Amino acid sequence: MNVTSQDRRGGSRWHAPLAVAGALMLAACASTPPAPTASLQAAQQAIATAERAEAGNYAAGELAEARAKLASADTAVNEKEMVMAERFADESRANAELASAKTSAAKAKAVNDEMKLSTGTLIEEMERSSGATP
Amino acid sequence: MTAKTHRMNTNALIAATVSSILLAACAAAPQIPAGAAQARSKLTQLRSDQELATRAPVAIQEADAAVRAAETPQKDEALGAHRVYIADRKVDTAWALAESRLAEDQRAALGADREGARLDARTREADAAKLAAAASAAESAELQRQIDELQAKETDRGLVLTLGDVLFESGKAQLKSAAAGNLNTLVMFLNNYPNRTVLIEGYTDSVGSDDYNQGLSSRRAESVQAYLVGQGIDRGRLTASGLGESAPVSDNESATGRQLNRRVEVIISNPDLASR
Repeated sequence: MNVTSQDRRGGSRWHAPLAVAGALMLAACASTPPAPTASLQAAQQAIATAERAEAGNYAAGELAEARAKLASADTAVNEKEMVMAERFADESRANAELASAKTSAAKAKAVNDEMKLSTGTLIEEMERSSGATP
Repeated sequence: MTAKTHRMNTNALIAATVSSILLAACAAAPQIPAGAAQARSKLTQLRSDQELATRAPVAIQEADAAVRAAETPQKDEALGAHRVYIADRKVDTAWALAESRLAEDQRAALGADREGARLDARTREADAAKLAAAASAAESAELQRQIDELQAKETDRGLVLTLGDVLFESGKAQLKSAAAGNLNTLVMFLNNYPNRTVLIEGYTDSVGSDDYNQGLSSRRAESVQAYLVGQGIDRGRLTASGLGESAPVSDNESATGRQLNRRVEVIISNPDLASR
């Protein structure tokens, strides 16, 4: 009798934590995992930065892709696909940052080209005028 | 006891083998994601570019980390593709940032080039202006010399060259050969200044009828015009007219006065004045 009662006690000592853990696991599975808020915000900010730099004029493709990826991320959040959502958000941000970098390169080159052009024009004018007066 | 242990070991071995075969079958060995190699080669190219490699060190480092993540053998294909995607964008971003920095660094030199060209242009402009001033000074000196040679007077109407009565046969329109020297200087002058046009005006003294004087002054003016045309001056530049006794330059009482009044005036237009 003693043995049985001990067994039963021991059994209940083991079963209770297991049940709790199981309930917790079930709860974890059932409840939605948190949305990748940080990644989503970072992507939004990167897009806003690119837009401020007028990336639409210099890296329209990359900016469009950044927006499309962000939209995909939002869709994934709605569908509770949080792993996918985070990847889409990170890809969106990578595109937005690329758009900004390409924009600044294009702008810097445009300034240089303008300078080269005006120097060339100066030299050309100089040669023409010195050619006209022997 | 020994036999039992042996049997158990055999069972364990079989189980392990089977399970490992099963595992291998289920999930293929982790593989390097497709596209990772391209990202790596692009990054290597960026790093070997002398002008770009040093210009975006942080971005290149980030790109390197992303490429290394992409190169990690991966069982999850979607995750592998995601890492390759990120690595590719990071390398491109590093490249663009390096190009941007390079352009900024080149700007100082471009600015110096432009300043140099501007300075050159200004120097040459000043030189040209000096040359032009010297040329125009020489030109006006030459003009003055030729005017002096013509013995012409500068008036409001232009340069006036007076051919005196002595250059014509008395009472006739025929030019004397002595007139040729004076008129040839005029021809040279007109050849040198092709913009200038000429008014040829004949005048007489008051002796004789108005009609006669009018006719004589016209014929003398036309005679001068004909001579100039004969020397190759375009007729369109020459206007001849007779003004008779209407505008004496001296009195008609004395012989000297009358002689001064019998004359042909050649008025050379000044295009500079006309345009003003």
